[in-house]
Amino acid sequence: MKASAILELRDVGKVFGDTVALEPTTLTVDEGSFVAIVGPSGCGKSTMFNIIAGLLSPDGGEVRLHDQPVTGATGHVGYMLQKDLLVPWRTVEDNITMAKRLTGRVSAADRAEARRVARQYGLGEFLRHYPSALSGGMRQRVAFMRTLVTHQPLLLLDEPFGALDAQTRLEMQQWLLQVWKDTERTVLFITHDVDESIFLSDRVLVMSPRPGRVVADIVNPLARPRTVDTLVDPQFVTIKARIMHLLHGGDA
Amino acid sequence: MSGFVRPAAPRRRDRATPESVTRKVARNVGVPLLSIVLLLALWQGIVVYFHVAPYIAPRPRQAVLAVTQNWSTLWPLVLGTIRETVYGFIAGAALGIGLGVIMAKVPVLQRLVYPVLVLSQAVPIIALAAPLVLILGFSVTPKVVIVAWIVFFPVTVNVLDGLSHVDQDLVNLARVYGAPRWRTFIQIEIPATATPLFSGLKIGATYAVTGAIIGELAASDGSSLALYQEHANTNLNTAAVYGTTMLMTVIGISWFLLVVGAEVFATPWQRRTVARRWRRGDRSEDEPAR
Ligand SMILES: Nc1ncnc2c1ncn2[C@@H]1O[C@H](COP(=O)(O)OP(=O)(O)O)[C@@H](O)[C@H]1O
Ligand SMILES: [Mg+2]
Repeated sequence: MKASAILELRDVGKVFGDTVALEPTTLTVDEGSFVAIVGPSGCGKSTMFNIIAGLLSPDGGEVRLHDQPVTGATGHVGYMLQKDLLVPWRTVEDNITMAKRLTGRVSAADRAEARRVARQYGLGEFLRHYPSALSGGMRQRVAFMRTLVTHQPLLLLDEPFGALDAQTRLEMQQWLLQVWKDTERTVLFITHDVDESIFLSDRVLVMSPRPGRVVADIVNPLARPRTVDTLVDPQFVTIKARIMHLLHGGDA
Repeated sequence: MSGFVRPAAPRRRDRATPESVTRKVARNVGVPLLSIVLLLALWQGIVVYFHVAPYIAPRPRQAVLAVTQNWSTLWPLVLGTIRETVYGFIAGAALGIGLGVIMAKVPVLQRLVYPVLVLSQAVPIIALAAPLVLILGFSVTPKVVIVAWIVFFPVTVNVLDGLSHVDQDLVNLARVYGAPRWRTFIQIEIPATATPLFSGLKIGATYAVTGAIIGELAASDGSSLALYQEHANTNLNTAAVYGTTMLMTVIGISWFLLVVGAEVFATPWQRRTVARRWRRGDRSEDEPAR
């Protein structure tokens, strides 16, 4: 089966006052791929996500999902931030089903699915717990499950592990790859951690600050499954050197 | 491992062992009761030690007796005060929530109305009573209006504050899901405002009885608890004066505790780590394994 494009940006850009947050950008994302976006703080990564998600309207250009125009429209992607955004007044189960509650009724099937997903990924005992009882890593996993059960084929993850300690982050990265493999979604993953971008992705987009733009589009040839050994693979080191060079102002 | 499994088991407070229940009751009921007992003991001590004359201050026991012995007279008056307090509180809370929501949603109205609200609180309540009687007569209504007048303000301020501090990322997340604004309001903004709302309600509850008594003093032609006390005062029946004050205080505290109870009931996530009630309607806790 040949991979087809799920997402297309055509000359999508955004200016705030006299800050060019995102220069007109064109890119295509293949269905089922894992694309990492890496760049320094303030280079327009979140702006790009907000445009794709429909929270922001671009100054020009077009966003296409499955070849349909969706510019400025919401309700067509899964979206997750560094902040877990779990609501403290709902249990883990009810947080996972939150999208349904916000758009209609939560059916018995929705709840059953939430429980199944939670059990499958090690949070079955915590279904009745309020989020305050969970650690940071567990909360992020709940937030991710909430994103998963929206059944959106495209997931936008904006530095989802940015607030976790290094050990937990590594566990979460491996966990995410497992879930990604199980569920066959397309993932766009923002990070400013170069190692993370390489470890997870099929492809790394490198962005430069002010004006924010994609300066390199790197195919990541590292074999899957990725393990701790991946981090010391010579190919890993080569890609890392190239990205570091780009991030510090070098040419593509 | 460390990050994944923080002390997984629920905290001990959730496991209602007999010991922890006893301790909880002791902490939440015993200690406040003790403080009341200490207060009464202090009162008794001062009166006895300084030989305070009975017409200046009775002993606690005499004040209590002045209430219990005249209970048949007092009871309807107490009911009247409770009614004014409760009606006024409900009206004030409803008005307060409504104003808070409208002001949070329409910024122009907020700038327009806020000064008027502040102004309303600068008016001395006593001075408000006379025109209210002129307009509304000597019914229960002017007292209810006075109570509502006092109660709505802290509610409005807190609701407004709560609604304007709802995490915008959460609101945006709801938008990404495609949620209509009214659902976002009900599912996100309202529960996120629960804590400040109850802060406002608790402040309102403490002042509600004061409002009712002021209303009774200033806008009462017939019988009321406030007039009963005034009458006792004129007759130099000091024990009844103190007793009535105690009675008013008890009404006030009871109402406050009722609001606290409502908060405890409405916001279980603030005290518990595990939900107590779990989907009563849902028969299959365990769906078939796949
Ligand atoms: N709503 C906004 N109004 C004005 N400036 C904004 C807004 N959102 C983002 N910016 C600016 O746009 C630039 C890119 O921001 P952002 O996309 O959040 O960067 P990143 O996620 O890569 O750190 C920054 O300079 C930021 O200050
Ligand atoms: Mg960002």
